[in-house]
Amino acid sequence: MSSRAAPKRTPQVSVRKIEPDFCEFVLSDTDPSVANALRRVMLSEVPTLAIDLVEIEVNTTVLNDEFIAHRLGLIPLVSQRVWDFTGAYDTNDDDENALMDIVFQMDVKCTGDDTLDVTSNDLQLDPSFPDIHPVAYSTGPQDAQAEKGVLLVKLRKGQHLKLKAIARKGIGKDHAKWQPVATVAFQYMPDIRINHALMDTLSEEQKLQWIQSSPNPVFRLNPVTAQVEVVDAEAYRYDGEVIAKAKALGKEGLVNITPRQDMFIFRVEGTGAMATQQIVVAAIDVLLRKLDTLQQSLASADAAMDMDGL
Amino acid sequence: MNAPDRYEKFVVPEHLLKVEVRKDTKVADAATFVIQREDHTVGNLVRMQLLEDKDIMFAGYKIPHPLQYQLLIKVQTNGSKTPQRAVQSAIGSLEEELRDIREKFLADVARFGSGEESMLA
Repeated sequence: MSSRAAPKRTPQVSVRKIEPDFCEFVLSDTDPSVANALRRVMLSEVPTLAIDLVEIEVNTTVLNDEFIAHRLGLIPLVSQRVWDFTGAYDTNDDDENALMDIVFQMDVKCTGDDTLDVTSNDLQLDPSFPDIHPVAYSTGPQDAQAEKGVLLVKLRKGQHLKLKAIARKGIGKDHAKWQPVATVAFQYMPDIRINHALMDTLSEEQKLQWIQSSPNPVFRLNPVTAQVEVVDAEAYRYDGEVIAKAKALGKEGLVNITPRQDMFIFRVEGTGAMATQQIVVAAIDVLLRKLDTLQQSLASADAAMDMDGL
Repeated sequence: MNAPDRYEKFVVPEHLLKVEVRKDTKVADAATFVIQREDHTVGNLVRMQLLEDKDIMFAGYKIPHPLQYQLLIKVQTNGSKTPQRAVQSAIGSLEEELRDIREKFLADVARFGSGEESMLA
């Protein structure tokens, strides 16, 4: 019981790019199961805020009530404060003041002869939470410079839409509208080994032909040594074109490409609900909490067994 | 029509334990852990970590039915520790590793100094 269970891994992280809605980083010296758990949690278990209940008072638009309610739900809300909230299914036995609902109002009527666009900018924010708003939110005169907001429905003269929309905390497992990411994926770093002995049996023209067969620029011919070398291993898309070409040239085994099981390139695309680096950190936190719950449940199951004299 | 409610996927019902340990009645040092409302995320993570342990003879997981939101992890050890201890230490190492990743990620993000402070203290 005292001995360490396994040789400890020391994972490495190298961040390559951070933009508000995009983040790329390399996770290495760990197992694919860790990378995949991280990916899955980012997709479906990092909480955000989204409109969940809609009370429609007047709707004379061309879209029916549930159509509009669905569209409202899909608007990403800036969820920096999500951690202050309690989800509809979270356990909060003692806290009577737990924050749950954010109430938006909307009341738009078309009076002019032109078509009127109803967008997320027409949502009136909850006065208690002025910092919780749809992405790309702006009020006031809509000039060309201003953000347009998310289009919900178009009104013609006389049409009216009045509603109350209640936003709540939730996770992607419940409904995709709560996903903090548009996409998150990881790519296995390819391990490319060129058989140089076999490569030397090719003429320079054949080498160039072979290099050209890759749809992405992975290899190049070194002009000095006339040797084929890898310029960008990551550009390889596991398409197998170079392997097929080697076979066609009658040189099977010219190159051996395998996905590395200890190096993963992550690309996270956010929806705007949270900054992408926050999504990554939040995913690790959610996963840690999950494991902690298990650890505690195991400890109590253990205690129960001891009591039974097992 | 008869689909289960969506919350069934992640809310543990009151009459069930999060983790139930079932000792194997036929095999020594073996047990099945029935974990409620968990999926491949935790299942594969814990299984792969268990397999790193040299005292583990067998570790596997399954989700018996896609509409019964439970996960089964089967473990057999060589007798030098109980299956519970093995799982506990596997989870312990995973937690340690994830904390390490978190720290290193934050340290590397700081290099970019976007000015935006992390709201997750």
